[in-house]
Amino acid sequence: MQAPLLSVRDLEVSFQIGGSDVPVVRDLSFDVEHGETLGIVGESGCGKSMTALAIMGLVPNPPGRISKGSILLEGIDITTASEKDLQALRGNDMSMVFQEPMTSLNPVFTVGEQIAETARAHFGLSRAEARNKAIEILRLVGIPSPEKRVDDYPHQLSGGMRQRVMIAISLVCEPKLLIADEPTTALDVTVQAQIFDLFRELQEKTKTAIILITHDIGVVAEMADRVMVMYAGRNIEKGPAIDFIRAPQHPYTRGLISCIPTLQADPPDEPDALFEIPGVVPSAVELAKPGCAFAPRCPNVIDRCKVEFPPSTQIENNRSVSCWLAQEETV
Amino acid sequence: MIDSSLDNFNTEPMEKPASPARQTWKMFSSNQSAVAGLILLAIVLIFSLVGPLVYQVAPTEMVWMPLTPPLESEYLLGTDYLGRDILAGLINGGRITIAIGASAALLTIVIGVTIGALAGYYGGWVDNLLMRVTEFFQVLPNLLLAMVVVMLFSATLTNIAIAIGIVSWTSTARLTRAEFLRLRSMDYVRAERSIGAKNRRIIWAVILPNAAPPLIVSAALSIGTAILFEAGLAFLGLSDPNNMSWGRMIGDNRPYILDSWWGVTFPGIAIFLTVLAISLVGDGLNDALNPKLRKR
Amino acid sequence: MVKSLSKRIGNAVILLLAVLVLNFTLIHIAPGDPVEVLAGEMGGATPELLAELRADFGLDQPFHVQLFTYLGNVLQGNLGYSFYYDKPVTELIFDRIGATLLLVITALLFALFVGTALGIASAQKRNSLLSNVVTLLSLAGFSAPVFWIGIMLILLLSVALPIFPIAGMATADEPEGNFAYILDVVWHLVLPALTLASIYLAFYSRLSRASMLEVLESDYIRTARAKGLSRFLVVYKHALRNAVLPVVTFAGLQFAQVISGAVLVETVFAWPGLGTLAFESILRRDSPTLLGILFFSAVLVLVVNIVVDIAYRIIDPRISAK
Repeated sequence: MQAPLLSVRDLEVSFQIGGSDVPVVRDLSFDVEHGETLGIVGESGCGKSMTALAIMGLVPNPPGRISKGSILLEGIDITTASEKDLQALRGNDMSMVFQEPMTSLNPVFTVGEQIAETARAHFGLSRAEARNKAIEILRLVGIPSPEKRVDDYPHQLSGGMRQRVMIAISLVCEPKLLIADEPTTALDVTVQAQIFDLFRELQEKTKTAIILITHDIGVVAEMADRVMVMYAGRNIEKGPAIDFIRAPQHPYTRGLISCIPTLQADPPDEPDALFEIPGVVPSAVELAKPGCAFAPRCPNVIDRCKVEFPPSTQIENNRSVSCWLAQEETV
Repeated sequence: MIDSSLDNFNTEPMEKPASPARQTWKMFSSNQSAVAGLILLAIVLIFSLVGPLVYQVAPTEMVWMPLTPPLESEYLLGTDYLGRDILAGLINGGRITIAIGASAALLTIVIGVTIGALAGYYGGWVDNLLMRVTEFFQVLPNLLLAMVVVMLFSATLTNIAIAIGIVSWTSTARLTRAEFLRLRSMDYVRAERSIGAKNRRIIWAVILPNAAPPLIVSAALSIGTAILFEAGLAFLGLSDPNNMSWGRMIGDNRPYILDSWWGVTFPGIAIFLTVLAISLVGDGLNDALNPKLRKR
Repeated sequence: MVKSLSKRIGNAVILLLAVLVLNFTLIHIAPGDPVEVLAGEMGGATPELLAELRADFGLDQPFHVQLFTYLGNVLQGNLGYSFYYDKPVTELIFDRIGATLLLVITALLFALFVGTALGIASAQKRNSLLSNVVTLLSLAGFSAPVFWIGIMLILLLSVALPIFPIAGMATADEPEGNFAYILDVVWHLVLPALTLASIYLAFYSRLSRASMLEVLESDYIRTARAKGLSRFLVVYKHALRNAVLPVVTFAGLQFAQVISGAVLVETVFAWPGLGTLAFESILRRDSPTLLGILFFSAVLVLVVNIVVDIAYRIIDPRISAK
């Protein structure tokens, strides 16, 4: 079997807050294979965006830093690579699409220039060649009359169009890994569907591996091969997307899945109220406490949960879950 | 960029809330440069308000040989080209300088806040008209306009303060307008309006107190600006001939700088330290009153 | 672009008319009868002569008639007559305006470029020595009277260390040749320009530092870094252009104040521009000249504002779209 494209081991990202180091991502390990799509799911504040920035080598420093672990992209360790090596990797071997298309493009340059400069930086293309490349890639991401749009400024485009431009920027160098951090959260539902269609289509053509970060289970079900669920900075469940939807293991994951309203062919006269997980996402203070961070909200909590974090337990089909209940079942 | 859960993070245990004034003082007093500014300001005030009672030398009379250097006579900071005591000039000029600065700043604030409040609150043609007037005053170099006014209406202390006031209010008006624009659609303002409060009450009793923090800072800083302004006018010869001021001392002694460096240096240092103290205090107030705007 | 430009020019014309009305009103309501002042200078006059003089100057006409006569005169390029210099005010101003422009533009460009460079350099290394020096300088630049800074520079760099000339715009016995003359003027320009720039240098460095710090945290800078651009491109291409926008805005807004500063600096260095002319006209109580300078400064400010507006539109494409 081929070595994985990306291999994250024991990653810890900490932030300096009020004089103390607070970890926002902890004990995180996962792989991404060539050409696959990994969905990372979690509520806002669970550390999924920080994980993405860590892979890109873009953790804002100060106040943040990677305090433990390794991130290997085709054997190169991001955590120890020089800024110069990282520059060569970013935008070229790995690239990222951000959540906010309205603010992620520089307002004072044309979209064509913002695409072309990436191609110039990595491929050493001339201005004319890079411009042609920009037009070509704009056409690929489905922007109508790209010859004209190439000279537009971001404020002349709609949100959906801007996100297509962001995708064009991230794909212009045909990266092996594309990280999409909530790429459609800021967009209309109809535009969301178009963007995901675009991702699928492009992935077929380029064989790019995608890490798709989202809080939307529906998106994961549709797009991802495998899923990793994060809660309070840790991975709590990991496995193939199909199994994850059909038989969630962790109480939190089960909660997430129950939150999705379902369409029923023959709806009951009195429909059930929408399910919600009681409680709120823990703050960073609680992250520092021992035990499972989900315990205060968990319907199946046992005493042990409050003092000790459960280790990752391997269950069938390459699945793993971090929960004392699962531990007890397998032992 | 930082996960939003960190926003809720608070390292300090919850305390019972202190009164706003106390909280402001706590923030202010923990700011070293602001406290230094406050001490410096106190020294300047004591020097120029209590000084004349202790050191009774007339600032406008010849008391010694002209152009005596510092430390060579009983007049410690030396004498100027007319044999007037520099130290007496500093002590008595300080009172005038500070009085003009403070009253001009008061006028600046009154005009600026009134115009800004009306423009921001009423909007529409009122806003349009008042902003045109503001723009008009911004196009005129304010020192030149003040020079014209003082020259035409004679250089008395009152006229100088008024002239400074009417040429300096534009930035206060813009600041006030922006605050009023922001605050006028707040829920508590709507609530007042819905129970039938009069516009006058809403402007002065409801919105103004909420707009106060940045205006207080602006008022503090405008005292410094007014002092510099007075010094500039006096330097150009537009000062009350019956009163000594720091700017006038520099203006009077400038032709003699080759013979006496002390005649211009000491009053300049006095102005510098006073305005520096005011800006340090103003910056400290800014940080203490608008914690969200604090410099990163 | 053309439309908004013509709108701005129309606006400027209205403002200039307002300046003229203000000028005229100030003279009209000011105490003191110009005819009596004139008569005093001529050594006294009979009441009949005074009345005759009033009629000659049109001072017996109602206010609005006098105002329209005045506006008509200005439109024909007649800003009044300086009795002291025995010259039309317009002529006096045109003799002096070049020197003022040279000083003001040199100082402003110096403050803009050096200030922005300092601010941007210090934004990259917060809490460094440079950063603290910039903060300190900006406090000092705000707190010291500009004319006093000029005098201190003279004491230091012209008297104690005789490097630069004390005053004036050129040496009295003019050096031979154009090049030598230019060099001479530049030599005289150094201290006045530095003095005038000192206030704004500090201000622009502080402003551009704050602006740069804000821009460096924006999403599009993260995008630029995620593209793998070099640090140089991220800072000097993507961040700089956005960070200078507030600096450009302020440069336009503050131009009127720069002229105020120039009045003081010119007076300190006896620089033969509009500022010294204003100072002299105060000494001579020559109000037509002072009012003419006020009007002309307003013209300068409005022209500069329009130029800055165009510059802003070139830097920021979002504005011209609106």
